[in-house]
Amino acid sequence: MGKTESKEDLLTLVQANEGIIYKICHTYCTLPDEREDLAQEILYQLFRSYKRYDPAYRFTTWMYRVALNTAISFYRVAQQKRGIIALEGTHAEIADPDPGDGEHGLDVLHRCLAQQKELDKALMLLYLESKSYKEIAEIMGITETNVATKISRIKEKLKHAFHQH
Amino acid sequence: MEEATIKKIWEDSTRQLERARVLNLQSWALNLRSFEMMQLQKAKSRLHALVPLKLFAVVAGIVWVLFLGLLVYGNRMANPFFTISVAIIALFNLLAIVVYLRHVVWIRQISYSESVVATQEKLSRLQVSTINTVRILMLQMPFYATWFWHISWIGTARFWLISFPAALCCAWLSYWFFKNLTLRNMDNKWVRRFMLLGPEYRNLLQAKAMMEETISFRENTVE
Repeated sequence: MGKTESKEDLLTLVQANEGIIYKICHTYCTLPDEREDLAQEILYQLFRSYKRYDPAYRFTTWMYRVALNTAISFYRVAQQKRGIIALEGTHAEIADPDPGDGEHGLDVLHRCLAQQKELDKALMLLYLESKSYKEIAEIMGITETNVATKISRIKEKLKHAFHQH
Repeated sequence: MEEATIKKIWEDSTRQLERARVLNLQSWALNLRSFEMMQLQKAKSRLHALVPLKLFAVVAGIVWVLFLGLLVYGNRMANPFFTISVAIIALFNLLAIVVYLRHVVWIRQISYSESVVATQEKLSRLQVSTINTVRILMLQMPFYATWFWHISWIGTARFWLISFPAALCCAWLSYWFFKNLTLRNMDNKWVRRFMLLGPEYRNLLQAKAMMEETISFRENTVE
């Protein structure tokens, strides 16, 4: 497989799963500008990490790993402004979703997510995405038993957050 | 609220995001050059930007150690204080170079393709280990107060009243820093004041927090 073909393969796969990038950007960044920067950084990291992609794992598992690792690292240094190149002829703009009927519930959910530590945030996102314990364990690098324990705590946290509002 | 309802709220919001397709990956896909450009600009990526910095420190360190080695060779115990002090300073700098080289290897080994906890743990360990370089370099401090001594000074009052106490002070200070400049003591008032002099303090605090988070995240404690 040629270099360009492999890049095109990656882009096709990323496009098919671009929702992952949107969700992670929304979970880890509140400001639209930051989301754009993070989206670029995730795409860049996906591109440069693709050669290390292990086909033994599902593509989405790998994509979640790269995107979450990037988002957590990005989140940690968000205060320190970095120079990120602007992509020629393109402009990444991740807007807030239109408010709708579930606006209040979504607000509570986002607030609950925002209160979590970086790793718990990732776990909560994966839980909301209805990922299996096995896949969450593979993405996060902890045991399935550990995932089960933490998910039960997350459910409690969410229940508590929705009860309060 | 039920679990299914919460997940439904999440799904609805993410569906809206996906429908908007504002990221415009299609356009990016048509412009593969953008990705080439990103690759060329990879030095802007925070982690890999550290590699040239560390390598510069290694090269500068090697030049410094070679210079000190030349001084030691040139003096050849003509003044034992000078030779021994400079040799020990060179040794500590050599150790720091080894630590920096190990950092470069670690940075190259870190892959975002690995699991989230493992990667974040490696990143935090890398950052917190920078404190070890500072600790090692602190140990050379007393030898900067002894290299100019001469055997003929030992019988003089100036030596026992000024030079010797000054060297003892430096030795105590360097021991204090080596002992206290640890992650555990980051909240110590004096350690904080000293670390605030450098740009690494906030990074270290963040890294320390993340390392603690990864450790507690791995633990499977049932409350």
